[in-house]
Amino acid sequence: MNHILVKNLSVNYKNFCALKSVNFDVNKGEFVAIVGKSGSGKTTFLKALAGFVPFLGQVTIPKNIGMMFQNYATFAWLTVSENIAFGLDGKNSKEQIKIIDEHLKLAELEDKRDKYPAELSGGQMQRVALARSLAHNSEVLLMDEPYGSLDAYTRDKMQQWLLNIWTKYNKTIVFVTHNIEEAIFLADRVLVLNDQKFVGEYKISFTRPRNESIKFSPEFNILRQEIFESLNQHLVS
Amino acid sequence: MISHSGFVSITLFPPPSKVFASLWEMIISKTIFLDLRDSLWRLILGLFLGSAFGVIIGLFTGRNKIFENIFLPIIQIFRPLPPVAIIPLVIIWFGIDDGAKIFSIAFAVFFPVWLNTHIGVGRIAQEFLWSAKLLTASSIKIFHKIVFPSAIPFIIAGIRTGIAVAFVMVFVSELSGASGGLGYRISISSLTYRIDEMIAALIVLGALGALTDQLFVFATNKIFPWIKFSIK
Repeated sequence: MNHILVKNLSVNYKNFCALKSVNFDVNKGEFVAIVGKSGSGKTTFLKALAGFVPFLGQVTIPKNIGMMFQNYATFAWLTVSENIAFGLDGKNSKEQIKIIDEHLKLAELEDKRDKYPAELSGGQMQRVALARSLAHNSEVLLMDEPYGSLDAYTRDKMQQWLLNIWTKYNKTIVFVTHNIEEAIFLADRVLVLNDQKFVGEYKISFTRPRNESIKFSPEFNILRQEIFESLNQHLVS
Repeated sequence: MISHSGFVSITLFPPPSKVFASLWEMIISKTIFLDLRDSLWRLILGLFLGSAFGVIIGLFTGRNKIFENIFLPIIQIFRPLPPVAIIPLVIIWFGIDDGAKIFSIAFAVFFPVWLNTHIGVGRIAQEFLWSAKLLTASSIKIFHKIVFPSAIPFIIAGIRTGIAVAFVMVFVSELSGASGGLGYRISISSLTYRIDEMIAALIVLGALGALTDQLFVFATNKIFPWIKFSIK
């Protein structure tokens, strides 16, 4: 069953077409990655899904969505626990404390409860942002290059952590990245976005749970090559 | 040394010993405390009123286009005015009592606080607003928990500038039509050629300005500890 359905989506900025009649669908609980180069329209696509930019066409998406950004968007003036509690409107304080505790544990940040985001590392801030969306019980997570500013080691750790979370909560995820390897490792399906439209789709059939070792398998390398070529072919044509 | 060398007049350039003797005399006679009380009361009230109006109007003009279109042209007309230029006018309006002095200080403080608040709330990262909108439907909560706190570093910078301006204005406004205050003391000492007393009062005024600024920084760091963490 489609959890997100997009038909003929176009986004136009003042003198610039950011997306051209894009079609897209995601099943409930599916992990879809979108790869593309800078300026291909990846971020605009997520913004349109979230309703942040005006668009033409049809977008069907649950109301309760969470979004993560490359620059974390953790509120600097709120502590880690206050960030997690931000979306808990309507819950009494006892329920809030229970949810905060649960998500601090999930984010492996129990000892950072009263710290401010500026006191955390990039990976920790990104975990706070995800914990905040999960505490809010977002059905869909839109992730805009969330690991783009992390070092390679932290990025690998965060990818594994995200897969564990996704396995546990089975949220629908749309993950935007320019890193082909990251997309293949994480997703069920990888879509290639170029020149403001989808130009390729790749089903990823690696079994789950996945671990780092699949990145060194021949199948992984073949996929990586194909996606890379899809990106570049389109640029040449 | 210069004062005692005979090259300059000891009356015009009194030695530090004479200045501190005058200061001590002012402490013993309690005149300095009475002057401090008068100046501080005007300063605090003027600073509070100017800051409060600056923050409130800045929040509205920074976030609301209608308010911006209404208030911005008016504020921009008054902003280039030297605050001391309005003193004769406010004396006519409010008389020579504290009202005129407090209004002049508040007027001068308003502009830096307003401008910083206006810029601060207008420069909030769009990602903060998007994240907040996805997490809550309450625009009051977004304003109270996201928009306002994000502008706090700017507001603090504006108030710090406002404190410096307020000290200028408290001094200038007490030069005429006052019967007490540090500005009055300096003015009276000038008329009676008590340069030592003038310098002593100036030292107190300067020390008070520095102390107020440092107390403000200390208090804001205590109230908003995340600011010092953010400025790494």
